[in-house]
Amino acid sequence: MSDRVLPLVALLVAVGIFFVYVNPTWSGPIAATKEEIALNDQALKAADQFAAQQNALAAARNAIDPANLARLSTLLPDSVDNVVLILDLNALAARSGFSLANIDVISNTAGGAGVSAPQGQGLPAAGTNPVGSIDLSLSAVGTYAAMQAFLTGVERSARLLDVRDIVVRGSDTGVYNYQMVLRLYWLR
Amino acid sequence: MALPPTIPTSFVPHAASSSARRFRTDFTGAYGFFAYAIFAIVFALALGVFFYGRILASSKAAKDAALASAQANIDPATVENFVRLHNRLNSGGSLLAGHTAFSGLFSALESLLPVSVRFTSLHLSRSDTGVSKIEGAGVARNFNALAAASNAFSVDERIKDAIFSNISVNDDGSVSFALSATLDPKLIAFTLAASAADTSATPPPAPLP
Repeated sequence: MSDRVLPLVALLVAVGIFFVYVNPTWSGPIAATKEEIALNDQALKAADQFAAQQNALAAARNAIDPANLARLSTLLPDSVDNVVLILDLNALAARSGFSLANIDVISNTAGGAGVSAPQGQGLPAAGTNPVGSIDLSLSAVGTYAAMQAFLTGVERSARLLDVRDIVVRGSDTGVYNYQMVLRLYWLR
Repeated sequence: MALPPTIPTSFVPHAASSSARRFRTDFTGAYGFFAYAIFAIVFALALGVFFYGRILASSKAAKDAALASAQANIDPATVENFVRLHNRLNSGGSLLAGHTAFSGLFSALESLLPVSVRFTSLHLSRSDTGVSKIEGAGVARNFNALAAASNAFSVDERIKDAIFSNISVNDDGSVSFALSATLDPKLIAFTLAASAADTSATPPPAPLP
């Protein structure tokens, strides 16, 4: 009798263990843990790549002359700072023999500075333009030579200034009236 | 003396179902072996799953700790600095590539226009699409001077679509005109103008800081 009952009991216990513990545990907590471990592995790999990239970037940045980095920051500053720029323009005009009459902000083209955002490089706010720009309108009086000197100074300014518009009205005295529109940029 | 084959060798009778009992015994043994083997396999599987789960949990805890450490080593300020430097380099390069220098145009006008032609007003503009235009009004001493200016513009490939309009003869014989034209981007590109300025005898005024 026991020859038949005990194997049957063992078989039933085996089936019960399989369906109550083995299978649910394998497909439940163990599968979830394996998935989390795989995600952790990916994150750790990315962290390693990040550390290597950071070291490479730090080395590349350290290889750049600090003076050039400072010039780059001047070329494209972190803020608009148009008041200081107007003072600099006044100083330039004075050096050039150019008389500035009026300077004003005439437009804010915050969305378009003619620079496209870097693509596909995983930078934050991808697709947005990192450069802001505004236009400055100025009117001035001076000789043609003074205007040329002023214009050359603006074009070669350490802070990037683009001349967008120039209107020259002549006179018989050799002193002309000028209206200019300058576009200045900053890094947001 | 040999027995005849019809005489039985034993007086003990054979069991009537001895072969059936042997089969039943074999079947019971195989059934038991199969059942116990399945039990053993499942039991081993259960033990394996149990210990594998513990090993995985331990591994996950170790990787969680390593990941937390790696995240703690990331300095957001350093990342922000790198991103800004990257944006500054890229954007600065793009802006410099499109940087305009209208002083190159004035130099070109000085060399192209005859001395007998002068502008009374001039409007230079550059649109957001990158198209640069020149519009102006001027006076030429006579038609020949205006024709020379027109010819100079037509020969020069940097000033395109030059159209002289509103041409009228004044009382003193001079000729008034209006001009509109588009400019070749190379004419007002900063790089060329900068190199020209570098080679000029007169240094430009000190640039803005």
